[in-house]
Amino acid sequence: MQYVALLGTDERTAPAPGSDEYNANLGGYAAFSERNGAAIVDAAPLQRSDTATTIRHTDDPPLVTDGPYAESAEAIGGYYVLEAETLDDAIELARQIPVAEVGWVSIRPAVGWWDYTGGEGAEGADRWLALMYGKEEPDSGPGTDAWAEMAAAHQAFVASQADARTITAGGAVHPLDTATTVRVRDGEVLVTDGPYAESAEVTGGLYVLSAADRDAAVALASRIPSRPGGAVEVRPLHVLPAG
Amino acid sequence: MADAAAIAERTFREESGRALATLARLLGDLSAAEDAVQEAFVEAMRTWPVRGVPDRPGAWITTTARNRAVDRARREAGRGRREREASTVWSLPAEPDPPPSPVEEVLVPVDDDQLRLIFTCCHPALAPAAQVGLTLRLVCGLRISEIARAFLQPEATVAQRLSRAKAKIRAAGIPFRVPPAHLLPERVPPVLACIYLVFTEGYSASAGDALVRHELCDEAVRLARLLVELMPDEPEAHGLAALVLLQDSRRAARLSPAGDIVLLEDQDRSRWDRDRIAAGLGALGRATRLAGGRGPGPYTLQAAIAAAHARAPSWAATDWPAIAARYADLAAVAPSPVVELNRAVAVSFAAGPEAGLAVLDAVAGDRRLARTHLVPAARADMLRRLGRPAEAADAYRTAAARARTGPERAFFARRLAECEGAGG
Repeated sequence: MQYVALLGTDERTAPAPGSDEYNANLGGYAAFSERNGAAIVDAAPLQRSDTATTIRHTDDPPLVTDGPYAESAEAIGGYYVLEAETLDDAIELARQIPVAEVGWVSIRPAVGWWDYTGGEGAEGADRWLALMYGKEEPDSGPGTDAWAEMAAAHQAFVASQADARTITAGGAVHPLDTATTVRVRDGEVLVTDGPYAESAEVTGGLYVLSAADRDAAVALASRIPSRPGGAVEVRPLHVLPAG
Repeated sequence: MADAAAIAERTFREESGRALATLARLLGDLSAAEDAVQEAFVEAMRTWPVRGVPDRPGAWITTTARNRAVDRARREAGRGRREREASTVWSLPAEPDPPPSPVEEVLVPVDDDQLRLIFTCCHPALAPAAQVGLTLRLVCGLRISEIARAFLQPEATVAQRLSRAKAKIRAAGIPFRVPPAHLLPERVPPVLACIYLVFTEGYSASAGDALVRHELCDEAVRLARLLVELMPDEPEAHGLAALVLLQDSRRAARLSPAGDIVLLEDQDRSRWDRDRIAAGLGALGRATRLAGGRGPGPYTLQAAIAAAHARAPSWAATDWPAIAARYADLAAVAPSPVVELNRAVAVSFAAGPEAGLAVLDAVAGDRRLARTHLVPAARADMLRRLGRPAEAADAYRTAAARARTGPERAFFARRLAECEGAGG
């Protein structure tokens, strides 16, 4: 099965994407990819949370604000989509991700992860990650009518963008109760039940978008199906130096 | 008739944990296994009291439950709506093949399945409260109402916690297996911790007015012995069994007839359970031998401390220097402020209350102890023994204010009154 692993760090102490220190750490990630290439379905680093735009569906039309969904020093800095047979295998992978030693890796079983364009985006466009947030309704997980209804809405949204190739990938995750957080401290693996921070954890799923600029990315993300009260945070992916 | 029903029910409970573990493997799903065992229970309660308990009740339960599960899978497949889900969850062929017929041969519970079940219930990706609940429900066969009563929690809370945990096991892919050897060093400790948590919750209840919850102590002893049977080469499994048996040997002497705590110091040692002590010392010996050059683990060290008490003919004749040394060993392998606090108490008897206070002062500021009664209670006792009743009284007042259970509060109040009397 597939798992979405969200990588978290404390932005006050973690090196900024693009800095020398950040680039120096990339070797650890390259080594992780080399060791586990077959298990890595998708992955990307994110720019910092102060580059985020958040769309809140509390009103109609939705409220668009600068900044992340949850104002916190602890923020998501990237993601992996991992293929693993069991949670134990996913934990084995997560513990090897370098960020586990300073931050945390939150693992969520995916209902599915879909590559819509074979990795290709719209010409000349940048990549953006759209993370869905908001309070989880009880009895809205996979297998319920509420889930089926939302899944149909998402399928229609994806289909509407097929020609424009503005959605390159996307995934749906199981409810928050199924999350597991993995950290490594002094060589010891710490596995705990639940997400790292309940208030700032993805609910439902995420999309990788391809859009020329922020306005276009936000306009697209605001069309992502959402329950009333839900929110979508849009953040540019960080482009790694070539080589 | 009532007796026959009671015997049938007890036998079923004793055997059902093993049957459930095997069914969980056969069916690939814990909830399905639980439902199937529940259906077998209904059938057993209908037939056993009349026809008698079968010769091999474990095999009867496993076979009957498996047949009920197949019946149910067929019904659900027939309904069509959830056929795909049913066929994958149950690992039975999808339509158009019909589900297999109930098996003719007798199924026997497999011991390895029980160990798999324990590791699944105690998976570190589950919260400790969920691990304990699942273990008591699925391994020990306790009813949800019994677990709720033992932990003084509403039944709905316990039921919801367990159903969430089972949903996570299924959705997140927590495997039903004994972890491979290289993972055992990190996966055995949560199992030991879960069983010990059941014991401490029983032996020293964290809430309410009853100090001891006997049913939890009994289940923990059963679980610890089961783990030794299933993992005979694991030194800490023997260490945990030793610890639980040695502590439990004092259960009857720990409460006065009125239900108050009797301190180890004041316990009637003739009321200690000698069989439990002998079994505990035997387990401690095996734990130490198996650990060999690796040195004893934290449960074995705690068991060694409990053994020093068990061997002592009286409080005064206790080998306090040995106990203080074991606490120092324990602090080295499993550092914690509580261990340091206990070491302070041991030192206060080995080398005098002033030496104990010095160790206690070093740990008193730890924020993990800030809200507990432990530091003021230890300090009060050392001050009382030093003949400083006014300071001791202050410490007892703090301890009483922080105590969690009625009997603990009553004990501190009694000591406080003595100090106030002595202080004049």
